[in-house]
Amino acid sequence: MSVKSPAAARHGARPPVWKSLLKALPFIFLTAFMLLGGGASRDPRQLVPLILTFALISVLFFRMVHTGRTDRYRAVFFILMAFCFVLTFITNLIEVRGSMALTEEDMATGQTPFCHMVIPMTIIPAAFTRTIIFPGSILDGFANIATMFALWIGVTLALGRGFCSWGCFFGGLEDGFSRLRRKPLLRKIGHHWTYLPYAVLGAMVLLSAWTLTPSYCEWLCPFKAVTEFEAVTSTRVLIQTIMFGSLFAGLVVVLPILTRRRTQCGLLCPMGAFQSFSNKINAFDIRIDREKCTDCGQCIRVCPTFSLDANSVAEGKTRLSCTKCGKCVDACPQGAISFHVKGTPVGHKPERARMLFLYPAFLFLVVFGTGMIQGALYRIVLLVTTGSLIQ
Amino acid sequence: MIEGFLLGLSTGTSCLAFCAPVLLPYFVAEAHSHKRNLGALGIFLLGRLTGYLIFAVLAWAVGWLLLQPSADREIIFGAARLVLALLLIGYGFGLFHPACAVAADTSRGNRFQRRWGVPLPLWLGLLTGLSLCPPFLLALTETAQSPSLGHSLLFFLAFFAGTSLFLLPLPLAGVFRRIAVLRPVARLTAGVIGCYYLYLGLLMITEGGMHS
Repeated sequence: MSVKSPAAARHGARPPVWKSLLKALPFIFLTAFMLLGGGASRDPRQLVPLILTFALISVLFFRMVHTGRTDRYRAVFFILMAFCFVLTFITNLIEVRGSMALTEEDMATGQTPFCHMVIPMTIIPAAFTRTIIFPGSILDGFANIATMFALWIGVTLALGRGFCSWGCFFGGLEDGFSRLRRKPLLRKIGHHWTYLPYAVLGAMVLLSAWTLTPSYCEWLCPFKAVTEFEAVTSTRVLIQTIMFGSLFAGLVVVLPILTRRRTQCGLLCPMGAFQSFSNKINAFDIRIDREKCTDCGQCIRVCPTFSLDANSVAEGKTRLSCTKCGKCVDACPQGAISFHVKGTPVGHKPERARMLFLYPAFLFLVVFGTGMIQGALYRIVLLVTTGSLIQ
Repeated sequence: MIEGFLLGLSTGTSCLAFCAPVLLPYFVAEAHSHKRNLGALGIFLLGRLTGYLIFAVLAWAVGWLLLQPSADREIIFGAARLVLALLLIGYGFGLFHPACAVAADTSRGNRFQRRWGVPLPLWLGLLTGLSLCPPFLLALTETAQSPSLGHSLLFFLAFFAGTSLFLLPLPLAGVFRRIAVLRPVARLTAGVIGCYYLYLGLLMITEGGMHS
């Protein structure tokens, strides 16, 4: 039996270039408007990153539309966004503060940028104490609490847990590491461990309500290793530093390389677990056409967040934790898996459903990532022209 | 005695916040009826009462000494927290019975009782009772000046009654017992909370060791 390529299985021949271009044009115009809305800088060190970013976005979206593949091009932007975020964030911190370490004074004056990972832990204490248990600012400054909440609500309504593959600027790190090896060295991970993120969520919500501090940020968040962390001034902070450093090395770097999965997202992240529930109210999901499916298990093997198993495939859908990255859609040799709008028949005009999802999803990716990529390119231009990443 | 009860009532939310992370995962994971959960809460409270009474005797015997920050105090309470942590980790990650997977349906609480002869909630109650939380320090301050052991015991008894009222709604977590997937999640939650206590316990012992 001959096996067609996934894209061919799904769409037959590729659409004509002009048709794809027509579909991509509204998005390309929107991106241009977003990038040039405030007027382009005449400084070539700013202009070059802007042009490169615009070109990258346009090419990726066009390729996504034209080839029928989603994950391949999403991943390029998603991974680039994460690494660029780290570069931009750290260089900014060093420029402004001189170090990645937060001081007690920074926290007391509410100068910590708010991060979406804290959101689930703030809700119960906010309901009871009318206080956001995070040392950030509600309205002032970079990444303030109100802006992050507004963005999160928008993405959640539009994408559900798709946020984790189209908006989260941390997820791209492990996505990147998970693609370094062609084949996984470690295949078997007990099914029960996929419940761990929900347990971490439950534990952190309870502990945050008890201690009125964002416990996950204090104790576990591995991404402090590439953003900012408390200066080591006591045994407590030393233990915390060892913990988040180990979690970063283990779950964001080593295990993704060994398993080819996003192990932090799939086995730890409480924000991801919290976000999973929003898949219930979101209009989009991933469905499997049982008439086409041959139960080859390819989708289960490639799913980066453990969101497919034999039971869910038999039911023709993903588990609640699906991040809608599109990797299974790209990988299915029968073209049996597709993006789907809830309430419509499964497999009915799948390309239309995919495009309906892609517009908001890629838009959010661009909203989150453009500044980071531009910022990182600017730093690289700085490095080339001045010999330093810092101004 | 009324003072103790009122102090318990006024600081009970802190006790709820302290005990809920230990008790809620247990009730959800065991998936018993409200009636059985209420029984388990009774056993938990009995353990907690024992912890309180131990405190009452200590407070009467050593008075202000118990309130002074000292290396020994950190090590003793750190050790109590460490035992609580190990119990929760064992319960959550199935270490009491390694042959059984996390998703096994039989009650892990029952297996613990068969193996160790004492109900798990009793230990949980005792070990959460042996903790220097802010309400407890307040109660200790009161009883450190107590004229007699009887007065000290009565004060802690009343304090216990006041704080326990806040824990009464917790067995209602049994409403989730029909959602099967919550059981393994709740067990793992207990394990994760155990890990947190493990760090706190180790930290207290380390800091106590450094001061001594």
